[in-house]
Amino acid sequence: MYVGKIVNVLVSFSLPGHIHPLRFQWAGRLIRIQEVTYRWKSREGAKEMHHFSVTDGSTLYELVFDSTSLIWRLENIEA
Amino acid sequence: MAKIIMCSDMDAFFASVEQKTNPLLRNKPIAVIGSGARTVITTASYEARMFGVTTGMTVYEAKKLCPHLIFVVGNNEKYTSTSKELERIYTQFTPDVEIYSIDEAFLDITATHHMFGGVDNVARGIKKAIREHFGITCTIGIGPTILIAKLASDLAKPDGLRWIKEEEVPSLLEHLPVKKLWGIGARTAYALASMGIETCGDLGRAPVSILRRRFGIMGEVLKGMGMGIWARPIMIHEQEPRSIGHSTTLPFDIWTREEIGAYMLQLSEMVGRRARRFGYRGRRVSLTIRYTDFETFTKQMTFPAYTNDTHTICRYAFSILDTIRLRKRIRLMGIRLSLLIRETCQMELFGEFGKRHALVHAMDTVNDRYGEHTLAWASYVHRRELPRVISPAWRPTGIRSVHIK
Repeated sequence: MYVGKIVNVLVSFSLPGHIHPLRFQWAGRLIRIQEVTYRWKSREGAKEMHHFSVTDGSTLYELVFDSTSLIWRLENIEA
Repeated sequence: MAKIIMCSDMDAFFASVEQKTNPLLRNKPIAVIGSGARTVITTASYEARMFGVTTGMTVYEAKKLCPHLIFVVGNNEKYTSTSKELERIYTQFTPDVEIYSIDEAFLDITATHHMFGGVDNVARGIKKAIREHFGITCTIGIGPTILIAKLASDLAKPDGLRWIKEEEVPSLLEHLPVKKLWGIGARTAYALASMGIETCGDLGRAPVSILRRRFGIMGEVLKGMGMGIWARPIMIHEQEPRSIGHSTTLPFDIWTREEIGAYMLQLSEMVGRRARRFGYRGRRVSLTIRYTDFETFTKQMTFPAYTNDTHTICRYAFSILDTIRLRKRIRLMGIRLSLLIRETCQMELFGEFGKRHALVHAMDTVNDRYGEHTLAWASYVHRRELPRVISPAWRPTGIRSVHIK
């Protein structure tokens, strides 16, 4: 299901340039990420977007980090 | 000294990526399909392959073989991004890397393997890096030529590692069916069988004069393949393109000139934009049409002026269309620009052509910055996005690196 909403995400950054989302807020809930199942990059024009497929153990979410605006978006939810 | 060539081939690439992405799909029969209405299976997981599901099957055919098959619409950006990262892993072990396709690469490790403690260590290092980075597997074949390296990887699938040394090649090939060799398809294998040639051993012993009579200059290549000695160098650098083209299976069959024109303009824009981005112009345009009954033909025309302008390419394509009497509805169209030259001349900056050039340049600048189709020609702007498929010719960098959503 497409969501496309801006969300707050708690993230750890480690060398070399590794981004690891830990938890995020969505619909008044704090969702703890159990596993980052896959990560990939895409481009929207000049912007580089970092995609993270994450799960809290029951639901699969796709988070997208816009490295130009530094905004996180919850892109998709798959129950 | 014999070369040491490595072939890295990802195992059921698209399906493995989807199974890694979604834990609910792991260890289940899945098939990755395109987003278009008339899609086919692009990759099947190993669990699905056990039921006979293979690439190219329709959804209906696959469902008949495996009723509980799970269909997943592929995410091309995920696969192309992974392929680019794979190239980065390979180049940590050798600079001599040929990315052959989105999921296959050849590495010449002759000069570098000793820096990593030997051939086995390089292979294990690559497999480990891919497993740790992506959580998916690859098979690595090693041999003295790319043909033998590819054969080794095919024989070791999935998640395998096999090294065929030079001295093992003749005995291995002796009883190997010719169709197992990379590059020998069903048609060639059939033609060889009609000549009494079933195995690579037979092929290697066949007189070259007979093979040449049947297959032309390929006869010598086939004999070399049968003997396991045919080799071509690894192509590290991108070759100059001979043509730039795009084709698409349409979401529905079309017939009217207006419908055809809108798709021709969209394809011309894709061709022209790629030619402009990489600085090429061409003066031969080819138009490919496939009817609903799969009858396919290509017509081409050579024009006096070199171009990479969308509307000029489209006008050229229309000139070709005007010579064709369409007999059936169309399901696939393709436009190709060839006889390419590097764009070196100064553009005409004044008059009608100068205005067009400035307009196209402005559109390209906006689309480069904000993404494809941010500015598009009005004739096709209301149309749905064309279903996009990763071409076998796709590469992580250069002119073949087509951005596919």
